[in-house]
Amino acid sequence: MDLTLIVALVIALSLVFDFTNGFHDTANAMATPIATGAMRPKVAVGLAAVLNLVGAFLSTEVAKTVSGGIIREGNGGVQITPQIIFAGLIGAIVWNLITWLRGLPSSSSHALFGGLIGAAIIGIGVQSVDFTVVFAKVILPALIAPVTVGVVALVATRLAYFITRRDAGKADGRGGFRYAQIFSSSLVALAHGTNDAQKTMGVITLTLIAGGFQAVGSGPQWWVICTCALAIAIGTYTGGWRIILTMGRGLTDVKPAQGFAAETSTAATILASSHLGFALSTTQVASGSVIGSGLGRRGATVRWGMAGQIALGWLLTLPASAVMGAFAAGFTLLGPIGLVIDLVLGSVIVALLFRQSRRTRITHDNLHDIDDAALVVKIKKTPRRIARRDRKKVSL
Amino acid sequence: MIDWGAFFVVAGASLLSSTLVVSLYSLGLRLLTSAGRALVVDPASFTGAITVLTPKRAAKEAKRRRKSATANPLTVFQKRLALVGAYACFSVSVAAVLYGVYLIVPALHR
Repeated sequence: MDLTLIVALVIALSLVFDFTNGFHDTANAMATPIATGAMRPKVAVGLAAVLNLVGAFLSTEVAKTVSGGIIREGNGGVQITPQIIFAGLIGAIVWNLITWLRGLPSSSSHALFGGLIGAAIIGIGVQSVDFTVVFAKVILPALIAPVTVGVVALVATRLAYFITRRDAGKADGRGGFRYAQIFSSSLVALAHGTNDAQKTMGVITLTLIAGGFQAVGSGPQWWVICTCALAIAIGTYTGGWRIILTMGRGLTDVKPAQGFAAETSTAATILASSHLGFALSTTQVASGSVIGSGLGRRGATVRWGMAGQIALGWLLTLPASAVMGAFAAGFTLLGPIGLVIDLVLGSVIVALLFRQSRRTRITHDNLHDIDDAALVVKIKKTPRRIARRDRKKVSL
Repeated sequence: MIDWGAFFVVAGASLLSSTLVVSLYSLGLRLLTSAGRALVVDPASFTGAITVLTPKRAAKEAKRRRKSATANPLTVFQKRLALVGAYACFSVSVAAVLYGVYLIVPALHR
């Protein structure tokens, strides 16, 4: 098949993946400020979109490898072909859409890695994947990061409530945390933009280099930077409202002080980890801090059934997208006709998922009308125990 | 294998910085309240997580707020001091946000 055509296909798919990445991850930054009413839903996603756009331009240092060492690529290793990247991207996009439909916050980078692993195993062989790196970079952080940041958020929430406590009936000024939430969530959105758009830029640039369209070792071209930034910004603005609902209401009911503590913990952890070269998944950190802050606020209940579903989603992300990437890679072995089959099959699956999503429409204008997050996330029973105690407090 | 040293540094740094920022901002709000200027920020939109009060109840709460603001045991000087303290806390919080931006933008620290 014509090399130019497959490179063009990979670029198009990368941008689609970038888009799903954006709308999957809006919730990380903006679910809690929307839940506490710090910002109107549309304003919040608009702000996140702008910050993601800006963030994409701030940092354009391209990774040396597509997979971050998970696949033994580069000098002396295996050669990742555009076909493998193509198949991996299809797996990642489909898995991102499935988790979005279920309202599950799952890591987009893990989906990408999973897709690439599956595609590489089929396209090259099992020896192409470095499983110790998979364990150290994907599985272990997924277990440790949410727990660590959960503890941090718990302590921060306790402190926030302890410091602002007042006698019953007196104003405590806790509504003022809403202002702070705007800034803390903006930091998370900006950090996300600098990290995630860069990943797609890296994939496209490495594909261009592999295809011989760009000099080896050169940085991303200006049109790659612009399109990637735009794709992630548009995705963010579209807003994965289902995931926002899960993060803002499905896990626990978020109050301003608690939301601020959660976002600050998320921002601090992500900044500290990326500064020290210890990449963590934004999604997992954000979910962990929401749970931790729910444990920290007296009278709040954490819906562990939901938390369990999310954790299960994390565990499944890598193998599930690997399986899909593997299937897609299997078809590419057939030659050009396989790519066509992949594209048609992928489009059909995406269309089906989209049709399924129309049954329970969740957007910015009916987000708050949905009385129970159970609608999307299928919780059997929502605990109402705390409702009476909560009513006594001034919570406007 | 995982670098446990780096992991503990990350955990410690995030614990320290987030508790510091959250405590300072909370202290700022507390001092503002003590100074008789409790910050009232109504939600931009009502969500399921917010208890919506009836107008009657809301009026009652507002009256209570005013009363607690006037019945303040602090002297004028102490109130002013509290206000200055509150603004100092908020400034440090703003500085923390700026430091966060500094850490995010590679061009600034490389």
